[in-house]
Amino acid sequence: MPKPTTIAALRSLVAAWAPAPHARGGEGIATGVPAIDAALGGGLPRGRVTELVSAAPSSGGELVFAALLASTRAARLRIALIDAADGFAPRNHRADLLRHLVWVRPRSMPEALECADVLVRDGNYAVMVLDTRGVPARVLRQQPAGAWHRLRLAAEQNPGAVLVQSAAGLVPAVPWRLVLRAPASLRDLGRTRAERVEGLAVEVERGHAGAGEELAG
Amino acid sequence: MKFAALLVRNFSLLAVQRSEPALGGRPVALVAGEGRRAAVREASPEALRVTPGLAVPLAAARCPGLLLRERDPAAEVEMQRLLLAAAFALSPRVESTAQGCCTVDLQGADPARMEAALHRQALELRQLGVPVRIGAGDTPLLARYAARCAEPVLVVRERATFLGPLPIGFAEPAPQQAAVLEGWGIRTLGGLTALPKAEVGARMGPDGVALWERANGESPAVLRLAEPARTFAATWNYEPPVESVEPLLFKLRRFAERVALELRGAGFVAESLSLSLLLEDETDHHRSFRLPEPGADVDSWLRVLQTHLDTVRLAERVAGVRLVAAPARPEQRQDGLFDTGLADPSSFWENLARLSALVGDDRVGTPVPLDSHAPDAFRLERPHHAVPAPEAPPVHPPRGGALRRFRPAWPARVRCAETGPVALEGAVHGEIRVSLGPRILRGDWWKPGMWAVEIWQVELAGGGLYQLTRNAEGWWIEGVID
Repeated sequence: MPKPTTIAALRSLVAAWAPAPHARGGEGIATGVPAIDAALGGGLPRGRVTELVSAAPSSGGELVFAALLASTRAARLRIALIDAADGFAPRNHRADLLRHLVWVRPRSMPEALECADVLVRDGNYAVMVLDTRGVPARVLRQQPAGAWHRLRLAAEQNPGAVLVQSAAGLVPAVPWRLVLRAPASLRDLGRTRAERVEGLAVEVERGHAGAGEELAG
Repeated sequence: MKFAALLVRNFSLLAVQRSEPALGGRPVALVAGEGRRAAVREASPEALRVTPGLAVPLAAARCPGLLLRERDPAAEVEMQRLLLAAAFALSPRVESTAQGCCTVDLQGADPARMEAALHRQALELRQLGVPVRIGAGDTPLLARYAARCAEPVLVVRERATFLGPLPIGFAEPAPQQAAVLEGWGIRTLGGLTALPKAEVGARMGPDGVALWERANGESPAVLRLAEPARTFAATWNYEPPVESVEPLLFKLRRFAERVALELRGAGFVAESLSLSLLLEDETDHHRSFRLPEPGADVDSWLRVLQTHLDTVRLAERVAGVRLVAAPARPEQRQDGLFDTGLADPSSFWENLARLSALVGDDRVGTPVPLDSHAPDAFRLERPHHAVPAPEAPPVHPPRGGALRRFRPAWPARVRCAETGPVALEGAVHGEIRVSLGPRILRGDWWKPGMWAVEIWQVELAGGGLYQLTRNAEGWWIEGVID
């Protein structure tokens, strides 16, 4: 590697070597899933709630989370997972891909929302994922709509992105709702995860036109 | 400056005020004696025109709305421990001289740094609601005289100049001695010490010599050393029992203030807190909180405790509370030059502690897969304070799907043919279109807890990939492959 001869060259070398620790605002946080990053214009928007709906079983929601883990790990950003149904399986991943993850395993949906309320205000996480897949629809319906509104408002005041994973559209007035519909087959498991992530198809719904337009604009 | 004295005036009254939140800012008088002999012993500044010694009916007439309380020995013990903890933060050689008074041996310490430390300690105690006065001098007695005059810290540098104008009452003469001195026209310590000590001894005897020495600030330089706290705990019994969170939190804050001071004085921080609530039916509610970042910050502790108490529903009222802090040495660490640290460390660790209080210590952390083939073998670790650089990617990229587990696994009935499972019944059901397996896993065969499972991956005709396991107890749906 050639030695930098100017301060500017040295700075750019350091920037490439060690990413800025707490980059705020501006660009989104890349998920590592090309279809999602393209749809959202670069990644999960900071200060916003994005919902990812896994409309069919095995449609790739966990694959998206694995890609997000790898992408944030590469950028050395912290990520929090609030796993409402306690479904995350750490053995799916290399230990090194989990070192930036804080996994919270609440025992109930109200606890999960309470945890989200704490973490969304913590400025140390680039992404907070609230995974509600596996929580019975009846339980989800019992949660006060105000909780989602509160989460959205809190997200807007903080630099991190919020991703809500669900099995059906859950968060009202969410700026971006992405839907995974195509279930995988056993044949797909023979491909590498990177190949599967490349091939993931995502439908984009704008749950809240105003907020969506504001983001798009 | 060889000794310091920490002094709290109206100690008994202050102890009662610190243990009862409703008394703050209100006129309160501490009463001693019963019936007609009941008289005011100490009065708060808000109790205007109420002075010690005043009969209770007269005090009540002088100050409408005056609240009367009796001494509370438990509260006094608690406050004396707080004062001792503050003293131990200055030096390991401390004497618990009297209620509301501690004497500290400062010999060998740098006077300039120690004076700054005295001011810091006075400020910290005042912030905790204890208006301490700290005096320092060459003898323990001189330090105590200085403490009586301090506002809030007084260091005596010129003994004669300081002692000269002080009233003779500081030396605590016996009534006969006081009468004799009055007859001689001596009203100050300086007046007495101006007389030759031998002449005073010749006229007033050995007691007169002792009085002269006290007036000169002389006292033995030997302290009856108190033992520093070895356990960092506090206990309180409520009478009557309480049924809301506020009185608990009030008392826990008082405990935490004292315990944190004791920990800091001993060079420790808390790595975990243990809270016990003793209920009226003599059962108890117990909970431990592992602090993600060991520390001695009272506000952080309180937020953790409050987060937990807000979720607790008890059938009985709370008759007592106990808080124990497990001590640990503060962690020393050095981050790597290019590690990504925390934007707001205090908020990070505090929020983790609150989450632990909410969901349990064992349900928050960074997952680490265990070196085992057992399905779902992992442990949760305390999150890293810095995100290290990633390792090189594996040579062989990962294949397959990511399993999303059902914890615990769902029981299932599986119809099998020669080729393997063909239909699934249970919470998930349907014809199985394709299956992969079996993959046999066994482990711990050298131990009593030996395990063995047969793993199948199946694709349902209606869509969806699932992982099934079969063990000695039957079939289970372990999760969905995503």
